[in-house]
Amino acid sequence: MSPLRRFLRTPEAIAGAVILTALAAVALAAPLFFPSDPQAIAGPALLSPFQDWSLPLGTDRLGRDVLAELFHGARTSLAVGLAAAATALAVGAVIGTLAGFAGGLVDEVLMRITDAFQTVPAFLLALAFVSIVGPSLGVVVAAIALGAWTGPARVARAEVLSIRERDFVAGARVIGMHPLEIALREVLPNALPPVLALSSVIVAAAILTEAALSFLGLGDPNRVTWGGMIAEGRAVLRTAPFLSIVPGIALVLTVLGVYLAGEGVVETAAVRKSLS
Amino acid sequence: MPEFTISRRTMLAGSALLLASTAMPTIGSAQTPKKGGRLVVAADSEPRNLNPAIVASNGVFFISSKIVEPLAEASFDGKDGLDPRLALSWEGAADGLSVTFKLREGVKWHDGKPFTSGDVAFSALHIWKPLQNLGRTVFKDLEAVDTPDEATAVFKFAKPTPFQLIRNALPALSSVVPKHIYETGKIEDNPANNAPVGTGPFKFAEYKPGEYYRLEKNTDYWGKDEPYLDEIIYQVLPDRTAAASALEAEEIHLAAFSAVPLADLDRISKVPGLKVITKGYEGLTYQLVVEINHRRKELADLKVRQAIAHAIDKNFVVKTVFLGYAATATGPVPKNDPQFYTADVPTYAFDVAKANTLLDEAGYSRGDDGKRFSLKLLPAPYFNETKQFGDYLRQALAAVGIDAQLVNNDSAAHIKAVYTDHAFDLAVGPPVFRGDPAISTTILVQSGIPDGVPFSNQGGYKNAELDALIATASETLDTAARTELYKEFQRKVAADLPLINVAEWSFISVARDTVKNIANNPRWAVSNWADTWLEG
Repeated sequence: MSPLRRFLRTPEAIAGAVILTALAAVALAAPLFFPSDPQAIAGPALLSPFQDWSLPLGTDRLGRDVLAELFHGARTSLAVGLAAAATALAVGAVIGTLAGFAGGLVDEVLMRITDAFQTVPAFLLALAFVSIVGPSLGVVVAAIALGAWTGPARVARAEVLSIRERDFVAGARVIGMHPLEIALREVLPNALPPVLALSSVIVAAAILTEAALSFLGLGDPNRVTWGGMIAEGRAVLRTAPFLSIVPGIALVLTVLGVYLAGEGVVETAAVRKSLS
Repeated sequence: MPEFTISRRTMLAGSALLLASTAMPTIGSAQTPKKGGRLVVAADSEPRNLNPAIVASNGVFFISSKIVEPLAEASFDGKDGLDPRLALSWEGAADGLSVTFKLREGVKWHDGKPFTSGDVAFSALHIWKPLQNLGRTVFKDLEAVDTPDEATAVFKFAKPTPFQLIRNALPALSSVVPKHIYETGKIEDNPANNAPVGTGPFKFAEYKPGEYYRLEKNTDYWGKDEPYLDEIIYQVLPDRTAAASALEAEEIHLAAFSAVPLADLDRISKVPGLKVITKGYEGLTYQLVVEINHRRKELADLKVRQAIAHAIDKNFVVKTVFLGYAATATGPVPKNDPQFYTADVPTYAFDVAKANTLLDEAGYSRGDDGKRFSLKLLPAPYFNETKQFGDYLRQALAAVGIDAQLVNNDSAAHIKAVYTDHAFDLAVGPPVFRGDPAISTTILVQSGIPDGVPFSNQGGYKNAELDALIATASETLDTAARTELYKEFQRKVAADLPLINVAEWSFISVARDTVKNIANNPRWAVSNWADTWLEG
């Protein structure tokens, strides 16, 4: 049975895959459906959903199309989530591998740095970083990655500790490969699968952190973000609750989708392990 | 009485029926004020320094104006728009070198000591002139205060100072504090700054950080039978949505300073027992202004500034950002100012085509991506409305091919970026008009202000003609001539656009019907509330 078929056996995984596919489709199709600036003023302000079919989800306080904002917001959320997770995984895997492979003083130093980062709550770290450097998309990605790389680093190190004792590593040493080359070309790829299993948790957390930063006004103000939309809607929560509810639902669905899909991946891996 | 603009009127018309229905019984029987009761008010901030003589700002006045009184208060129908408080009369000398105040007699401080001209002299010379944010400019030439007797204070100026300016400054700048408390030690560190002692109708009783301020009745107050209330509680409610809920739940009686978000007013005006009041803030007009950094070569070009002015739909801003609770602006003096405003200035109608033509003429044609040039836009974070206008301005500029990149900062970072580092191209600011252009308006235009002075011209604008005009006006003693000079000032500013005035707005109060004598002067929220009373 192919891994994909096995993956799609559990209902969680199917639900997760459907949600994520739909989300990716929305993010990719956003410029096709809404080619103009999603922040352009499109109609009367505070139009309720389902009143005007050219603006199906209504408009916000300035008269911007909520559906267009939602589509373009999906791009930002996914882009930030994926970029932050990729950065965190890359940094974490490299640091974990180096620490585990080198051992000794290098290991001590790198792991104590990891400890230091882990003791500070990730969100506070992101908040402080963005407030100092100033909000823009790259900074937000870096800020989220700053608090998320420690998990992958620890998992990678644990994995490397067992791999470095294997015969093929000894073999690589014997043929005279540079230790750095062994660490990055031989050990790291083998240590990667369990690290990648963390990705769903990190992506989901990154999307939520991005939304929280935007909600607090620390997102990139020149892009539509779901968190920013919720924050905008908060001022008119009593009169136009849909402005907060619509992006809120989108956010919940996205995070749910990522979690479910991640759950599916873990189960698939578990099945494979028990089969082997 | 200042004229309201059409937009405010239209807005009022909507709720007029409702207001009339609640006002009817009052008109019918002319109720006699009832004594006693506790008024609970929403407070959205907790000022650290409560001394209004040092920090002349609305946040401080909101609480401390009930405790510490000025020489005179603004009034709808009094002479010169003033009502006597600690001073009974004021008279300026013809040469502009002195002003004589006759003071109220028999007034006592909250600690029982008598109030005398010595307290006025001390406050003016040792606090208003050297320490107060606004007094520093208005009282800069104050040399001495003579006190021939306990009820007379004569202000002596080194240079002729217009009496009109001093008069207009009295409500906000002349809070008198007791000399016997402040004469020992450093004034800024005096404990009375956090627990003020004054002559007002209420005494400072208690402050619980994060919870409330409590003021209690001054039984020795000079006003006959006043105050009516026994107590005022300022309930700290920093969340703007909390104030509306607290009003509906009958936990508080009053939310002033637009503590209830504009978008909620329509709904809340329909709640039985609550009324929405737009009066009582005429003396506290905020101006929505686009500040311009003239160091940018594009913005140094008058045509570009004119194009930006034409690109802004002021009516849209009033209707959508302010939901009608504002008026469009024509220049640096708000329309509701009774003394200085002139409508006879160059205006910039909303005209995207014209804006595009002006930009083309200026030599900034559109690139392949439709953009002419990029700008950094910094909306001030103090109000929801300034932030929203920033979002709008970005779109309005995009329509004429100017790519504005928004930069959001917190208050401290915004003030530093704009007024110290000049790290902006356009900024959205809410300066306050304080009844006289010389108090806080001309510094938005005048050159030669050191870096770092907040809410001043930090855009590098320099116009010798306007500087000369401002200098002449500050020395002109004749009221009519001085007023005419400020009209000329408005015309020149509107023509050369050192900044762009977009709208003028003030605050809204929401109160329970049981609160009486609300909004009966142009600075009501920051006046002493001696005549406010509670029904039932």
